[in-house]
Amino acid sequence: MRKSSKVIALLCAGLMALSLMGCGGAQKQVKSTGGKVQIQYWHVAAESFGGATVKELVADFNKSHPNIEVVAKYNPDMYKGLTQNLQAAIAAGKSPDVVQMGWSYLNYAADNFKYTDIASVIAKEEPKDKDFFTKNFLPNVLALAQTDNGKQIGVPYSISVPVLFINPELFAKAGLDPQKPPKTWQEVAAAAKQIKEKTGDVGFFMQEYADNWAQQAIIESNGGTMLKKVDGKVKAGFDTPEAAAAYQLLADMVENGSGLHATNEEGFQAFLSGKVGMVCTTIGKRANFEKSAKFPVMVARFPVFQGKPLKVPAGGNFLMMFSKDAAKQKAAWEFIKYLESPEAMSKWSTGTGYLPPIKNIETRSTVFKELVKNNKNVQVALSSMPSLVKWASFPGTNGLQAEQLLIDARDIILSGKDSAANVLKQTADKVNSLL
Amino acid sequence: MHKSNWQAWLFLLPATLLFLIFFYRPLIENLYLSFFQWNMISPTMKFVGITNYHSIFVSAELLKIFFNTIFLVFILLILNFVLPYIYSYILGHLITKMQSFYRSALFLPSTISLAVASIIFLWFYNPIAGPLSIILNSIGLESPRWFKEDGLVIIAIATIIAWKSFGYNLIVMLAAMVAVPKELIEAAKLENASNWIIFKRIILPMTSPTALYVFTITVVFGLQYMLVPVNMITQGGPNQGSSNLVYIVYQYAFVFFQTGKSAAFAVLTMIFYVVILVAKYKFIDKKVHYEN
Repeated sequence: MRKSSKVIALLCAGLMALSLMGCGGAQKQVKSTGGKVQIQYWHVAAESFGGATVKELVADFNKSHPNIEVVAKYNPDMYKGLTQNLQAAIAAGKSPDVVQMGWSYLNYAADNFKYTDIASVIAKEEPKDKDFFTKNFLPNVLALAQTDNGKQIGVPYSISVPVLFINPELFAKAGLDPQKPPKTWQEVAAAAKQIKEKTGDVGFFMQEYADNWAQQAIIESNGGTMLKKVDGKVKAGFDTPEAAAAYQLLADMVENGSGLHATNEEGFQAFLSGKVGMVCTTIGKRANFEKSAKFPVMVARFPVFQGKPLKVPAGGNFLMMFSKDAAKQKAAWEFIKYLESPEAMSKWSTGTGYLPPIKNIETRSTVFKELVKNNKNVQVALSSMPSLVKWASFPGTNGLQAEQLLIDARDIILSGKDSAANVLKQTADKVNSLL
Repeated sequence: MHKSNWQAWLFLLPATLLFLIFFYRPLIENLYLSFFQWNMISPTMKFVGITNYHSIFVSAELLKIFFNTIFLVFILLILNFVLPYIYSYILGHLITKMQSFYRSALFLPSTISLAVASIIFLWFYNPIAGPLSIILNSIGLESPRWFKEDGLVIIAIATIIAWKSFGYNLIVMLAAMVAVPKELIEAAKLENASNWIIFKRIILPMTSPTALYVFTITVVFGLQYMLVPVNMITQGGPNQGSSNLVYIVYQYAFVFFQTGKSAAFAVLTMIFYVVILVAKYKFIDKKVHYEN
């Protein structure tokens, strides 16, 4: 009895040691196989958000490039989730090669991540591509992926703009003409009120993702700003009467019942089931909305304020490179070039609703030409491209917390607990103490 | 006794090693991190002393988050401890027909993942198009914005967690209920004892060890399960209305990447748990009746 228990104890200890060793050994195998260079591509495209297109593009690239193998990895929770995973991966010394970085993380990524400078990779590995940036992009689009001091840290890949999605059936029921969607925010408020009074359903919902993208669009379209520079230092710029007036307009709609204040998913669910007249969100949801709604979804331009210019922040992502050794850098550059080609770009745009950032794509790709011709919603979105501005990105190590403070402010304003002017002032003070 | 000591140590060794490596070492490392300003990737860790703790104690968020945590635990105890307790008594001793149907029907939701449950409840609570709002509208009430109001949001989150853990807690409690010897109850009934007296004098003491276990896992698991619905639906909002001591640790570490402040919050959370455990040991453990 004694003896056998000793043996069992030893066996157990041995098994444990073995299993611990197993843990360490398993990770090494993932490297290159059979002379192929393997690179990792991190994206945020869920199945309902272009995931199938990513798979198609990667398979296509792997087939036409026998010496490179791209492995795609989906990161849940959009750009926040990807940035979190990336930060953890870099901390562990296992960075991916190509990633989709959200525009609002531009400054954070530039300040905190050791990325690979694509221009110097081109100069070293593929000098023939030295005109790639100027040949393919308009200057204002290229500038989206530049930091404040003009450094190009990535390549623009997906562009989205906020638009107004409309339920034409609810419009008609309320006695409004869906062919003449509201053009100004005053008209939006009036239409929302009319929908509420005539049908009992809610008139308007603005997206409440864990970011302030759409809210930035309405603030800047009223002449406000998110950030300002004081003595070369970035400060909160949203404590102005213009910003407050824009936000108050949204809060008043919620207050009188014609606007909805809910979580983002709740708002979209309600819209898709025909209970909300207008939803202000990204054109990136176009393909998904057109497929899921019971009614023919219509897209209208992001409304303006009377007599003021339209300003829409660019949403979506740009591609950054994190490869360390030369072979992988070369392969990663090859892959980026493929993703930015007119053919691949057209597929990506069709599968998601994103707008392609590259120049003259209508003349370079017949697929895209067809898409624009047949889908009026895409035309509307494209028409706001000249009004693109940068998505405000708070700099420094506390930048991400500053973004959260604005999300908290949104909840306070829309729930009517305090006036927009007061809340924005308090939030600006808090943000300034963080920056 | 002394001779065989080494054997005892040998048997203890695997568990001790696991504990030291995976439980106590991280605790110490966490304490160390809480004195630094660091974002996990920067090569330089800046020593800041107790600044992280100081900034937590002077901020308004600590109090709000502390009370959110207490409120969440309170609701969870009602939904996942008191209710299963009553249900298991009814199922074990008062109902005789269709017992197995009730058991499986009440256990079923526990098998569904929390992520799925979160999506289902997000739809259920939808203030415009959800089934609950339709019911409320039909009796002339307007649905509140469940996930956008202070207080309500915690109740809504708690019901999602309850959906997940109610069934398991019920089955565990039920096992204790049916283990109460039938003879005792029969004897009491012969003496004309009411259901209430039977419950108070026999059931309550006989099931107390299991009840204590269910009480503990309600608090500990509840605060872990919370992460999925909070992260999926509210991200701690509105204005930190659904944040709590556990979520804030996650938020500072993996959303804001402020490792030091997150570690400081984690230390405070640990102290909170220690206080609860000591209280439990002092006031509850002594009242529990263990058979052997």
